[in-house]
Amino acid sequence: VSDGYEILTLSEVEAFPHREGTNLIPVRHTLGFRPAGVNAWKADAGGQVMPPHEEDSGNEELYVVVQGRASFTVGEETADAPAGTLVFVPPQVFRSATAEEDGTIVFVVGGSIGEAFNAGGWEAFSIADWYRQEGRIDEARAIMAQLIAEQPDYWAVHYNAGCFESLAGNPDSAFEHLRRAKELDTEGASAEYFREDSDLDPLRDDPRLEELLG
Amino acid sequence: VNLAHIDELDRIEMPDGFVWRPVRRHFGIKAFGTNAYTPGASGQIVEEHTETTLGHEEIYLVLRGRVRFTVDGDERELGPGQLVYVRDPSLSRAGVALTDDAAVLAVGGKPGEPHEVSAWEYTFSASPHIRAGRFDEARRVLQEGLEEKPGSPPILYDLACVEALAGERERALALLNEAVAADERFRAYAETDEDLASIRDDPRFPR
Repeated sequence: VSDGYEILTLSEVEAFPHREGTNLIPVRHTLGFRPAGVNAWKADAGGQVMPPHEEDSGNEELYVVVQGRASFTVGEETADAPAGTLVFVPPQVFRSATAEEDGTIVFVVGGSIGEAFNAGGWEAFSIADWYRQEGRIDEARAIMAQLIAEQPDYWAVHYNAGCFESLAGNPDSAFEHLRRAKELDTEGASAEYFREDSDLDPLRDDPRLEELLG
Repeated sequence: VNLAHIDELDRIEMPDGFVWRPVRRHFGIKAFGTNAYTPGASGQIVEEHTETTLGHEEIYLVLRGRVRFTVDGDERELGPGQLVYVRDPSLSRAGVALTDDAAVLAVGGKPGEPHEVSAWEYTFSASPHIRAGRFDEARRVLQEGLEEKPGSPPILYDLACVEALAGERERALALLNEAVAADERFRAYAETDEDLASIRDDPRFPR
């Protein structure tokens, strides 16, 4: 493999359990692709392909059925999507998909209109979270450290590191990261997460959280 | 549901013998750059090129069939669900379909910058219409391009060519001068372009 290019076989990349029974193939995280969000989801017949969700204002996503067959729900409509189907979903519209065949793989491309793509590292956080649940704390922490090294000034990576340490039972370290996230988040985008994120539940009784929120 | 099968997308035959399937344009995607390709008569599916000018990182994902990619001189045969990620924009890359049903999805852009629609998406879309004398179709595509990219010199220039071919001298001259004013390079192109032959004798023709 040269430094300048890389080959990837989607079905051979280690997939990670993500929320709502989904399995993420972390394409962007594996490759380090920077211009857009690219990932893939795999599921067997009847399985959830990606978590049902809506994207924030400005976030467009294109889903491409690479292998197998999926049933897509977008808004209130449902459509059959065999391999080779492209499904476009505008911002703020509900989308969900289930696999109709074993070994279904759906590739997804996403980005924000008029903005440079900012990975934020949610995939890495999801992988780190899986490692944490498996007791592989060192591997998980290495991923968080790498994310922070890549985007030291982005509040969300510090916030996610705080969540990780909260769940791992290290409140001191968690608050260190969360304080940094609060400092960097000049637009107050994190406020809602600080209030509602269940990842921070282990810290809810800690006066330091009250202090941060105040 | 806003969906399309790859085989339902427009087929635009490109000069290199591959067929461009406009994905971004079909859906009106603004946030990122993506397109699909299928092989033409020559079997070519991804033209040999670099991304040096635009500085794009690119992913080429095989959706169907088999494709032999040549990247930086290395040959790799890929099937469905396999991709090649070309990080270095200066590397030469090309793809030849090994099966007639091959289809490739490309995703690319310049890291750290918002996606900007490329003028070539419109000029290449209009080109088959211009060659076939379907001037209204060509105008429609290029006008759509100008709405997306107001004042784009290559689109203004191609629209000038359409008007010149259609015998609309005044419109052609106005568009051509607008293109040259926005980008000097079009002055030289205009000098020898066959499409502009009908207006070249006009004193207002840029020289």
